[in-house]
Order: sequence, then C-alpha cells, then structure tokens
Amino acid sequence: MASAATKTGPAARRWPLLAEAFAGEGRAWLFVFKTVLALYLAAWLAMWLRLEQPATAMITVGIVMHPHSGMVRAKSFYRAIGTLCGSAFGLALLCAFPQQRVLFLLCMSLWVGLCAGGATLYRNFQAYGFVLAGYTAAIVALPAIGNPLGVFDSALMRVSEVMLGLLVAGTVSDLVFPERLRLVLRQGAREHFAHFIDFVRGSTGGSIPRAAMEQAHLRFVRAAVQLEDQRASVIFEDPEIRARSTRMRLLNQHNMAAATSFQSLHHLINRLQRERRDAEVAALIALYRPIGAALTTSPADLHDPAVLAPRLRACAQQLPALQAKLRTDLAPGRAQLAFDTGATVLKRFLDELCGYVEVELALRGRVQRGGVERVHFRRGNDATGALVAVLRSFLTMSTLSVFWIASGWTYGASAMLLATIFSGLFAATANPLASAFTMLGGYAAGMLAGLFAAFVLLPGSDGFAMLVAATLPLLLIGPWLAAHARHAGIGGGYALGIVYILALKNPMVYDPTHAFNDAIAQVAGVALAAVAFVFVPRVTGSGWQRRRQFRRLREQVVEAACAPLDGLSWRFESESRDLFHQAIVHTRPDSRESRELLAWALAVHESGRALIELRQQLRASAAPPEVREAVERAVQAVAQLYRGPDAVRRQQAEDAVREAIGVCAAAPALRPRLYQLLGALRDDESPLASWMPAGEPAHAA
Amino acid sequence: MPHEIAIQGVLVPGLLPIFLGCLLLMALVDVLIGRYGLYRYVWHPPLFRLALFACLFGLAGLLLLN
Repeated sequence: MASAATKTGPAARRWPLLAEAFAGEGRAWLFVFKTVLALYLAAWLAMWLRLEQPATAMITVGIVMHPHSGMVRAKSFYRAIGTLCGSAFGLALLCAFPQQRVLFLLCMSLWVGLCAGGATLYRNFQAYGFVLAGYTAAIVALPAIGNPLGVFDSALMRVSEVMLGLLVAGTVSDLVFPERLRLVLRQGAREHFAHFIDFVRGSTGGSIPRAAMEQAHLRFVRAAVQLEDQRASVIFEDPEIRARSTRMRLLNQHNMAAATSFQSLHHLINRLQRERRDAEVAALIALYRPIGAALTTSPADLHDPAVLAPRLRACAQQLPALQAKLRTDLAPGRAQLAFDTGATVLKRFLDELCGYVEVELALRGRVQRGGVERVHFRRGNDATGALVAVLRSFLTMSTLSVFWIASGWTYGASAMLLATIFSGLFAATANPLASAFTMLGGYAAGMLAGLFAAFVLLPGSDGFAMLVAATLPLLLIGPWLAAHARHAGIGGGYALGIVYILALKNPMVYDPTHAFNDAIAQVAGVALAAVAFVFVPRVTGSGWQRRRQFRRLREQVVEAACAPLDGLSWRFESESRDLFHQAIVHTRPDSRESRELLAWALAVHESGRALIELRQQLRASAAPPEVREAVERAVQAVAQLYRGPDAVRRQQAEDAVREAIGVCAAAPALRPRLYQLLGALRDDESPLASWMPAGEPAHAA
Repeated sequence: MPHEIAIQGVLVPGLLPIFLGCLLLMALVDVLIGRYGLYRYVWHPPLFRLALFACLFGLAGLLLLN
C-alpha cells in the first residue's frame, strides 16, 4: 500500500492534468481506445478492399460500439438482418419505379413508417433492426435515384461496407479487453435469487403490510424484466449462456409464478387477520413455518441451491401430514374452508419454489443436461402506439419528399436520409424532443470538427499514419462523451456527425461546396425529424399510453378467464408483468398514479391466477354439468368486472362466486379456488374495495 | 469448386458460400462446446473462437478452391 502511494505520488505531481483525466476513468478510456481502434481498422480495411465509401463502415462501427461486447454482438446481429432486408427492399423499389418519383417516394415513406412502427413493438436491439431496415432502404436507393442503373452496385457496396463495419466492431470488442455482460447478468440473477429467498424466509412470522408487499412486487418485477432483457443480449456473447438460455427463461417463469402465489397467500392471511379469525391465521402460519425452517441453514449456504433444494423437497413431503393434523383442530365449515384455501395456495407456492431452486441449481452446474420445457416471456405490446409512430414517420418523410420535388433541391437526398435515421431512432425514446435537440447539438458540433479536419488538417497529411494523426484528437471526443451517461446523447450525435462529414475516401476528395451543402441538408433533416415530434407527439410514456396500458393490465384478467388454457399461466405471468413494468417506469415514485397502478397490479395477479387455476381444476375434474355451469358463470362474471369495474358488476361477480361455492359442495377440489376468488373480490385493501357497499362488515363468506 | 459462381447472371465469389458454411459449422461447434462447458479450459475464449474459425475457413477454402 505504502509503496504504491509513493510510486503514484511523484507521477501525479509531474502530470497533474493527465493524472486527473485518467483518475477513475479507466473504463471510459478503454472504451474510447476500442472504438477508435475499430474505427481506423474498419477504414483501413475498407480502403484496402477498395470499397466505395469507407465512411459507411466507420459510421457502422460508431453506431454499434458499446462498452459491453454482448451488446455489440446483439446490435450487430439485428443490424445485419435489418441491412439485408432494407437493401433488398430498396433495390426492389428502385427496380419497380425507376422513373416514377412520386410513387417511389410514397412507397419509401410508407416503408420507413412501417419500420419505425415495428421498432416500437419490440424491445432491445430487435427494435434497432427494424429502424435499420427502414433507413438502409433509403441509404441504398436514394443516392442512386439519379442513376437507376447503378443501384445494384450501390446496394452491393453499402451492404459490404456495413458488414465489414459489423465484423470489425464485433471482433475488436470481443478480443481486446472484453467487458462481459455475462458477469453482470450472473451477478444480477444471483442477487435476485438471494433477495427472494431472504424475503420468503423473513416473512414466515405471518402478515406483511400491503405497502411492503407492493415495494417487494415492484422490485421483483424489475428483476424479472431486467433478467429477460439481459438474457436476450448475452446469448450473442457467450456460448455457455446460449446453452443455458431456455433454462434461464424457465427460471424466470418459476420465479414469477412463485412470487404470485406468495402474494396470494399473504393477501389471504392478511384478510383473515383483519377479520380477527385468529385460529385460522395461527394454523396457516404453523403450516408455513417449516418452509422458513427449511430455508434457514448455516450462514455459509444460506443462498446455495444445492443445500436448499433437498431441504425444500423434504419439507414438501411432510406438508400433507401437517396439514391434516392442523385441520382437525379447526371448527368444520367456514374455518376449515379458509384453511383449505390457504393450504392449497401454500402447496402451490412450495412446488414453485422447489422448481425455482432446482432450476437455479441446474444453471449453476457445469454441464447442461437434458431438455427443459420451452417457455417464452411474452411482452405486452401496444398496436395503437405503433400506428402513431407509423403515421409520424410517414408524415415526416412525405413532407420532405414534397419539399424535395417542389424545390428541386440538389441535396434533398441527404436531408431525407438523416430524417429517416433520426425519426426511427427517436420513436422509442421517452423524451424524443429533448434527446433530438441534444443529438442535433452534438451532430452540429461533430460536423464543424469534421469540416475543420477535412479542410485544414487533412490536406497537408500523406499516408494512413498521417490521416490517423490528423483526425485522432477530434475523433476521440465522440466516444469519450458517449462513455459518460450524462453526455451520451451529445457524444452519439458528435461521433455520427464527424464521420459523416469527413467522408474519408481513397483517394480523398476535397469539395468544400459539396461538403457545406451536404452539412446544411443533414442538419435540416435532423431538425425536421425533431419537429415532427411536435406535431405528432410521442407515445412512449405519455399519459394516454399509460391509461391504455393500465386498461390492458386489467384486461389480463379477462384473458385469464377466456383464453385457451394451454400455456396460459406462463403467458399471464410474463405479459402482466411486462405491461406493469412499462407503465410504472414512466410514473413518479409514490405519486397517486403509481400507487393506484401497483394496487391494481396486485389485484390483477391474485384474481387472474385464481381464475387460471380454477379453470385448470375444472378441466381436470369430473364435475357434473350444473357445477360446471355455475363455475363458468362465476368466471365470466369476474371477467366482466375487470373489463369495466363498477359497483353493480362487483356485486354480480360476488353473487355468482357465492352461488358457485354453494353448488360446489360436492366438489371439494374447486371450493378453495372459488373461496380465494371471493376473498380477492371482497378484499378491503384492494382497489375493488371502493365499490363495496359501505357499512357492510368485510368478512369473506 | 469454381472460383466464381454465377447466380442469375451475378458473379459471386466462391469463397462466400464457403464463408457462410463455415459460420454455420462454427455455430454448431459453439453449441457443443457451450453445452459441455469446455470453454473453461481455454484462456481467452473469443480469441480461441476466432482462431478456430480462421483454421476452419482457411482449411475449407484451400481444400475446396484449389
């Protein structure tokens, strides 16, 4: 320690500025180094291979580079697909309308609009692939519009340049001091596992306040969505994760299912406690205690699935005997029904917890053996939001087209190109207007730097080494800004702007008139893409979209009541969480809206889960037709309530469920689920409580 | 194998299909190695993968085109 201090001391004094610039910025500078290396390597290779515009390969590198190599690979993969689709479409379009500029531009605008709409329907870099498909069509077809016969060569060149850029970026980021997203993913997954186990162990004492439950739910949903997001990128980085991919999805599903049952159980216990039914509460807590005991091990293996899995299995085997013993101590009728309901949910929870721990155990093993059930994390997408994005991009593009045709602007193609790129890139951001103007600022700064380099520094230099020397200091700024989250927008714009206007070529072409005209057209294109958001406002994160997502979250219960049963519970768990997550990230924490959303999310989870289990049970059982009919009526009544909640429908749903419980006296397997549903309808802490008749004591059954 | 292949009148270098075939083969090898966790015995997995791909591609190119 002491020797290290004496070593760095004099160095810091001699180079105070340098020491300051590098202090704590190792990662940022590593990223800058990798980006610049990839940029020059791509430029050199493109010149060596005699490609027409090395600048395209450089821009590709600039766009794709990211500190984590998994992100680069994922981005590259979707960019490659987008480029191929886009160039094929651009080619086809120019072949179809070589002399029909109105039809050509109309179709082009429509294509770009559709791609921008598609981008809002997907997460991660799949969205990016759509944006790419849109603007690659423009990149391929627009420059060739004056020379339709050259479009094939143009398309071939663009595809080669983009692919070269992708290969270089992927290889450099993977080989040179790679930063693994896998480690982030693994650490996140383990932390979440530990949290969940701790939470379950810590709550064996009985009831959890509703507020604590809501916070836990929020945390679990975030972890589940994040795990899925990261998994989708890491599979490109690491073959081992790819081999584990299906299992990781299953892990996530088990975790979500276990969290839902856990919440249902605690809602039930809380309700019983509020009704002062202490005998049932005590019996349920006694039934629950062995799980806590099974999870309490020596401190070293508190979170070791290899230790926990056998203990939980043993606990599950002892559960029925304990349940029978506790049940005999309760009064027959209401008390036993409440206890049976709790025991059913508890058994289900324990099964899911066992599954979760076992999958985690298998994931930590070295070799992945055997196949597992294939499950998917279904996203809740909004088709209307996508339509708005289609409309906006289409309007931007057609406005520019009309202006281009009417004015005979020579550089209209450049403006259109940039407008395409940016209207696609901004469509999915939360605050597009601000980020568009930030990026515009960065873009303009990058262009000025590029003009300076191209017309002051470059003419005096000779050879590739001199080119690097002349452009390096200015090129460094972009990635350095991008590596700092605060300036990422400016950095991205800067990196694009400088590379675009430098337009490195071999041999270099110096044409100031062209460069300045191009610069003006490009800035106009970016600005118009920003202005479009004023006229057709953003959708992501707007109040309108939040209300729609809110309604769709409630309608998840309708889906649980009506959709085909196969795989429904997986779909329900993931889609309702994804919808909730999308809506909650745009609300202020602790605002009225966010609290309301949380409360409804918990109610939706409880009712939806109970409905699905009830329907599964009904399908498996050999109940007589009148029982079937009554249960079906109850299911539909609850679905109606969640479609449009009001006091009348709540009462109807309650009556239907009560009637079904009465009819089901002969079918004991169905009664606990119905009782759970009734409890959820009458929960005086759920949002449905506001439609309950006032003054009535809140007892269930 | 010919050095250039004509697809609908467009000349495509013969190396391109070999490159794509090698990518496929590499993906297969990757799945196998990933499943059995063999990358743990390699110092720098990405470098190893690149080297393996270079070997595969070089071998296939030399054998098939010469």
